Amino acid sequence: MATLLRGVLRPLRAFRSRPRPAADVPLRATSHGAGLLYPEHIPTSPLQKALLAAGSAGMALYDPYRHDMVAVLGETTGCRTLKVLRDQMRRDPEGAQILQERPRISLSTLDLGKLRSLPEGSLGREYLRFLDVNRVSPDTRAPTRFVDDEELAYVIQRYREVHDMLHTLLGMPTNILGEIVVKWFEAVQTGLPMCILSALFGPIQLSAQSLQALVSKLIPWAVQNARRAPCVLNLYYERRWEQPLKALRQELSITGPPMHIQGPA
Amino acid sequence: MAAPRSWALWSFCCRGWSRVLPGCRLPGLRSSRPRGPLGARPLSQEKRATETHFGFETVSEEEKGGKVYQVFESVARKYDVMNDMMSLGIHRVWKDLLLWKMRPFPGTQLLDVAGGTGDIAFRFLNYVQAQHQRKEKRQLRAQQNLSWEEIAKKYQNEEDSLGGSHVMVCDINKEMLKIGKQKARAQGYKAGLAWILGDAEELPFDDDKFDVYTIAFGIRNVTHIDRALQEAHRVLKPGGRFLCLEFSQVNNPLVSRLYDVYSFQVIPVLGEVIAGDWKSYQYLVESIRQFPSQEEFKEMIEDAGFQKVTYENLTSGIVAIHSGFKL
Repeated sequence: MATLLRGVLRPLRAFRSRPRPAADVPLRATSHGAGLLYPEHIPTSPLQKALLAAGSAGMALYDPYRHDMVAVLGETTGCRTLKVLRDQMRRDPEGAQILQERPRISLSTLDLGKLRSLPEGSLGREYLRFLDVNRVSPDTRAPTRFVDDEELAYVIQRYREVHDMLHTLLGMPTNILGEIVVKWFEAVQTGLPMCILSALFGPIQLSAQSLQALVSKLIPWAVQNARRAPCVLNLYYERRWEQPLKALRQELSITGPPMHIQGPA
Repeated sequence: MAAPRSWALWSFCCRGWSRVLPGCRLPGLRSSRPRGPLGARPLSQEKRATETHFGFETVSEEEKGGKVYQVFESVARKYDVMNDMMSLGIHRVWKDLLLWKMRPFPGTQLLDVAGGTGDIAFRFLNYVQAQHQRKEKRQLRAQQNLSWEEIAKKYQNEEDSLGGSHVMVCDINKEMLKIGKQKARAQGYKAGLAWILGDAEELPFDDDKFDVYTIAFGIRNVTHIDRALQEAHRVLKPGGRFLCLEFSQVNNPLVSRLYDVYSFQVIPVLGEVIAGDWKSYQYLVESIRQFPSQEEFKEMIEDAGFQKVTYENLTSGIVAIHSGFKL
């Protein structure tokens, strides 16, 4: 009899209201599309952004292979700079078109067969060669999560996808030295705090020899080219696959690298 | 009481019903539900009944198991590191306290459910080994005159250093078990340890098998907590003990505010920076808020048939150890 009574009471208890969190605890009510500005968006408070920035900077220094940390650092520190970049893109006709059409560079949007069939020396062919030689793929870029504006989220996503293009334009491999050179170029071009921090602190891990080569030749070359070239985010790369790389470099006033850097081990 | 055959038929119908309505086991439930004009249950109520919480999200019950599995699959490798980071190492003290409360003696058969990476199991083995060694020393001191055969046996080291104790680690997640086995190999735990893949709601063991059943930081991830408690009651021997270490409701308002800020602001950030996984740790802190309070959980344990149910708050109620006996 007692077990029967208990059985009756048990389901009633199961439906008792769950303890609700305090009013100031952020609820995840927004995670089902209600308050999200774009699919991968994670809304964060200023404290969380600050902690993320500090944590990701530390982790990126500690473990340079954590590319996602560099990405998070860029997202959390780039608010003001992204706005400046976005306005710059709006003023340029090609950039404005990019903002409107929002093209994406990923394996699903690239026609690899067509790119492979392009003549040697064209942007598309050289880009593909860069991907093959360095064994990277455009799909390894993490999606933007912590930017609280949908257009700015696209801008930073575009910046990340253009990063590979820069490797091709500058002729830099994807090892640490090559990445640092590209970061110096980007730091001068975009002014993103993440680029500046990477450019300044990245070389800490290098050997004395590489550091010497970096400081004496590569950095001055990268900075000079970055100053001369127009904003690289304004180029509609998807429409320029057939353009010969040399011609594009001339258009952007980018000279060849001052020394050959060994590819990634 | 109805005749046995019709009772069996009735409970058979209810079992089918209970898949739709969580926590419903007996016919008495019907009277407690609000009824529509024709006496039939409105459809919306049925739909709502198959939903449950996944953190602060609402998901269907079938979904929850899969989602929880994915969470633990992705956190498995960094699970121990993250525990240390998030609790600043205090989780080790909590687990030690659980063992001290248990006070196992050599010969205890322990079932550690949701014990994935083996923290409780290893502590248990250390404890009973230390106990056994102490007992041996006492015995040696008592009997100074041993025969040659006994001395030879001691040198051959054929004795079981655990005194017959055994721990079965059961977890639903293969990744967590894999990490646990790697840890065991690395730390040299071999004897008295077994790893089983199993569901807390449907344990792959016979009735009355274990002396102690523990579940540390696992029961809040179970879809049907009451079923897990009933299974615990089933597999324990009469006289066996149920111990649950779980996050609970904080009783101090100041600590509660600090804890909330820390949970919601810092922990997901830690998860992102260290493990590269924001969402799993967001789920973690939300699932803690969704778990019943100490008193409510105590009542649920009593409902499953346990007696002498008590709980002890640790760290102002951030964590609580619930204990019950099958008598």
